[in-house]
Amino acid sequence: MDVQDSIQSTPASRMVSLAGTGAKVGLNYLKHYGRRMVSGGGNERLHEENAADIFKTFSELKGGPLKLAQMLSMDQNLLPPAYARQFSRAQHSAPPLSYPLVVRTFRREFGRDPLQVFDTFSQDAVHGASIGQVHRATKDGRDFAVKVQYPGVAESLRSDLWLVKPFALQVLGLRESDVADYFREVETKLLEETDYRQELRRAQEISLACADIPGVSFAEYFPEFSSGKVLTMEWAEGVTLDGFADGPTRQEERDRVGQALWDFYHRQVHEMRLFHADPHPGNFVVANGDVRVLDFGCTKMITEDFYRKQFRFLAPELMEQPGALTEALEALNVLLPEDAPEDRERVLVSCRQWLELLARPFRGAVFDFGQEGFLQEIYDLGEESRKDNLLRTLRGRRGSPDTIYVNRTFFGLYSLLCRLRAQVTIRLPDWVSRG
Amino acid sequence: MEIRAKILEAYGAYLREHGAPPATVFKFCRELEIGEREFFQHFASFDAVESEMWRGLVDRVAQAVESGPEWSGFSARQRLLAFLFAFCEESLGWRSLLLARVGKGPPVVWPGHLRGLETGFGKFFVPVLEHGRDRGEIAGRGPIGQVYPAAFALHFRAVVDFHLRDTSPGYERTDAFIEKSTTLAFDLIGRQALDSAFDFLKFLFPRPH
Repeated sequence: MDVQDSIQSTPASRMVSLAGTGAKVGLNYLKHYGRRMVSGGGNERLHEENAADIFKTFSELKGGPLKLAQMLSMDQNLLPPAYARQFSRAQHSAPPLSYPLVVRTFRREFGRDPLQVFDTFSQDAVHGASIGQVHRATKDGRDFAVKVQYPGVAESLRSDLWLVKPFALQVLGLRESDVADYFREVETKLLEETDYRQELRRAQEISLACADIPGVSFAEYFPEFSSGKVLTMEWAEGVTLDGFADGPTRQEERDRVGQALWDFYHRQVHEMRLFHADPHPGNFVVANGDVRVLDFGCTKMITEDFYRKQFRFLAPELMEQPGALTEALEALNVLLPEDAPEDRERVLVSCRQWLELLARPFRGAVFDFGQEGFLQEIYDLGEESRKDNLLRTLRGRRGSPDTIYVNRTFFGLYSLLCRLRAQVTIRLPDWVSRG
Repeated sequence: MEIRAKILEAYGAYLREHGAPPATVFKFCRELEIGEREFFQHFASFDAVESEMWRGLVDRVAQAVESGPEWSGFSARQRLLAFLFAFCEESLGWRSLLLARVGKGPPVVWPGHLRGLETGFGKFFVPVLEHGRDRGEIAGRGPIGQVYPAAFALHFRAVVDFHLRDTSPGYERTDAFIEKSTTLAFDLIGRQALDSAFDFLKFLFPRPH
């Protein structure tokens, strides 16, 4: 693995780097128009090239922009698929940091060197996490994965977001007011991720509550080797979930893993109201047919009140009574009292389309995520809503910022299941009666 | 030698207590119950004593990192990083004195009484540089290479200065500063960066046919 040789240092140099990307994106547009004058090609290739350039910059910047890239890649609604594809590459590895800094962090956190805490400790990171990196260690015959956080990362996350925001808005064609809440919520969550103590608590809480779900397994965490900046868990062998999904895996195995994921999220969302909100393939491995959750850095807790407002859309009868649907959307602030009637109608139509699509897996006893076109339909509807200028001007500060991570979780879960082509037996919360 | 050590110790204690040198060598010697002549046999001035004291600090840190179990496997970059992190940690025990003695001047030159930090660092860094050249980590680029020790001494000065001004919790920002600036420095002296720069210059200014 290459050790990164050029970590961007000051906000100024990051800015320069971002400006460089802006220039390149501009260049790609010029190329695109040149090409279109000759051949009349579509937008897809342009998006593809821009996405590649942006991705390159984001991954060199580390920290905030990388997380943001990952975030945006999860929300298909905000991002053209080409960007999403490039950004999802960011989900695997960021370049590592120097070993002396790791030693320094250990001394500060534990008062001892890594080799005094463990019997062996890998000098090089075995893989990168966006705000730290993972080392492999052993002690008394046991294998550990030790996640070490980059010093000062919280502060640099803040300045990164501040830098990247106007840039992202411009490149992606979004308006500040449309995404202000989005950014605030993202910032809060990113800062939460820098607290490894909270990650440890949440990981233990969720693994305890979900331990009995068949097909899911959890790494053991070790508080005695963990602190605010170092997190130690049991080493997990296995195939990454995307490797598993894209490889020659038998259908029963796919279904088993898919079912495990479904049940895992069902338990968390509908029973615990606390869930792992980062379901991308890099966060899971599969070993012996069981899926293992690796990273609890991003978890979301929702209130009972919000849960009731958000998930009542699962009840099929809601869609059949227009009055009830309107009322439910008003409760979530998706429809605002000051809306003009025609705007209201437009939003209502769009919401109905979305709800029909997103709640579709919940409508039957079994849902086959392997079916052609389900994910594509989501992408297409996203593309359509994004292109709809009226809808975009209406988006404004609608909805609750809490929705962001709920949506992200379900988009993520759906894309995992589609990638797995799994057939899943649908479990519904008790209060929903099947139509 | 014994007197030398005694002078160093007493002077260090005095400085930490008062934050400034004694008024005269005579006064200092009387309290130490030695003759002024003896003092000057070992040191030319108070500045020389203090400089020697700081050199001792750098030497101790250098010895500590060089005897670490992982040292032999470290690249030059890692060796420098290990030293800088260890120095910042160790210097916490001397922070108040350093603050009093470094002053608020521009972080470019060391005042005479702190010169020992630079000489100590130079002594540590020359073999590190050699190690880097042997490994091909550092490009040997003729006369340019001769300024490396001075440039890195300047970097060390900047690190000490940054550390002294740092107000972040646990001096986190100093850690980041060390990590990032050292990486940048090694990028600049690494083979690849210079090669590409040279290549680029050749492209910008082609030779006439």
